[in-house]
Amino acid sequence: MSAPLVVLQDLTIRAPGRLLVEGVEVVVEPGRVTALVGPSGSGKSLTARALMGVLDVAPGLERGSLRYPALDPSKDWYDGVRGGGPRAQARLLEATRALRGAYLSYSPQAASSALNPGRTVGQQVALAVGRRASPPASLGAEVTRLLRAVGLDPRTAAALPGELSGGQCQRAALAIAVAPAPRLVIADEPETGLDPVLRRAVTELLVEVVQSHGAGLLLISHHHDTVSRIAGAVVRLRPPAGAPEEL
Amino acid sequence: MSPPVVEVRRLEKLFEQAGPFPWSPRRSVGAVQGVDFAVAPGEVVALVGQSGSGKTTVSRIVLGLEEPTGGEVLLEGERWDGLPESGRRPRRPRYQYVPQDAMAALDPQQTALETVEETLRTLGGLSAADAAARARDILGRLGLGARLHALPREMSGGEQRRVTLARVLALEPRLVVADEPTSGLDADRRGAVLEALVGNLPAGAACILVTHDMSEARDWCRRVYVMLAGRVIEELDPRADTPRHPYARILFDPWSGPLPAHPLSAEGCPFRLDCPLAASVPDGRCARSVPALTPVPGSAQRVACFAEAALAPASAADSAGSPRHAGPASDTL
Repeated sequence: MSAPLVVLQDLTIRAPGRLLVEGVEVVVEPGRVTALVGPSGSGKSLTARALMGVLDVAPGLERGSLRYPALDPSKDWYDGVRGGGPRAQARLLEATRALRGAYLSYSPQAASSALNPGRTVGQQVALAVGRRASPPASLGAEVTRLLRAVGLDPRTAAALPGELSGGQCQRAALAIAVAPAPRLVIADEPETGLDPVLRRAVTELLVEVVQSHGAGLLLISHHHDTVSRIAGAVVRLRPPAGAPEEL
Repeated sequence: MSPPVVEVRRLEKLFEQAGPFPWSPRRSVGAVQGVDFAVAPGEVVALVGQSGSGKTTVSRIVLGLEEPTGGEVLLEGERWDGLPESGRRPRRPRYQYVPQDAMAALDPQQTALETVEETLRTLGGLSAADAAARARDILGRLGLGARLHALPREMSGGEQRRVTLARVLALEPRLVVADEPTSGLDADRRGAVLEALVGNLPAGAACILVTHDMSEARDWCRRVYVMLAGRVIEELDPRADTPRHPYARILFDPWSGPLPAHPLSAEGCPFRLDCPLAASVPDGRCARSVPALTPVPGSAQRVACFAEAALAPASAADSAGSPRHAGPASDTL
């Protein structure tokens, strides 16, 4: 039994006047899909970001611990950050930056706006491949392979994000997320805005790409069918008491 | 008996596409290829399909934003396509459009109240006082009574969406075409937006909901037109009928079988290369001709398929095939 990729315990984050998340626990094991579900405002994206050391609200982290046991079983990355406010959180962000890529990667919710509009898709995938611990023999061939794997024509490499449809952007973002061959992939609603057929295709692809090299996946999803089909574990978030009811 | 609010007959839209070189022959691409449907007063129907299926083109033609290259469009029984803009303009306020991107559709410097008032004065021809009163009324009904003076950037996505709805509904339209009005909203907010739209339609108005979210179509429409490659391949009541066209089944429940792996066929039935029923159709008919919508005996459902299995009377197909509802009534968490 290999060690979990991430163990997040008792995550409690405060914004001025209210708690954003309270007592959240998430474990992601290698080769497994963990789904993070819950209504709007329950802190799914916040939790996913906290899990990779990105904390950007003040006063911020109140309680909790963050471990990457597969990397270092004893280190709690939140040490010195709890109650430390923005400065401590900025130090954590700096410290976890080195993990981005080869250890964990993140596919954001709004794929089309997360892509760099001024660089071709191929350049962005190549950049992500460059974060691997050991670079591939041929960068160009690897970019082509990744684009094919997410169902994009290799000629898409020459396109700018603005020239692609929403579904194609979503796929490109996925290729970028898996390009560094990370051990842990965090995907924030990768199916948003896709039609049902593409939704399944993208989800299956994600699982396939992630599991083909024994990585773990944390998947934020609103879709019951997706979660029930592919998740090995489900973490359900509830908005903390006193959260405002947004219209 | 009043005529349908919308009636389209043999609607066709061909786009000319240039070849790779200036002297290459131009190719015509059929975005819409022979679509027929009618929407009665008070009816809410859905046009569903994947991106590129032609649903947005159909809705743009219905609104007179694009001219068809064939067929005809009647709105409230009167011819609508081919009219000069001067003939359309006086009728336009009755036929309204709800855009996909609410933030982009709102003036960043106008409050919710100003947005609706201006529409009522310029398109509705109301006096300033009447416009103000009606704008307050409709915004209140859409739950924005406390947000009258909010600017778009001060509102949540759902609130912005409801301002665009208020602007449309304030004109008391006969027809509302909503093109993915919930795109970009969280799944648990979408229902509220559609409830605000459908619940506040003027009496006798018709609504066409363009969507690729099957749970929305199921929750809000008694009639759904499934589009593929510019054609309607199935018409059904999603609450009473099981989808029968093999493609419609995948669209309604993408996990029910293998996903399409081939490109759409240019000849014959567009789905034939991925169709599990094509082998049961004799004489290669699926490759030779395009199936027309055919009524299913004993129901209002119509399916464009040659296979007997797709057209068997309701009870037989149900016992042989898929569950009536693929999953819970709403597939969102």
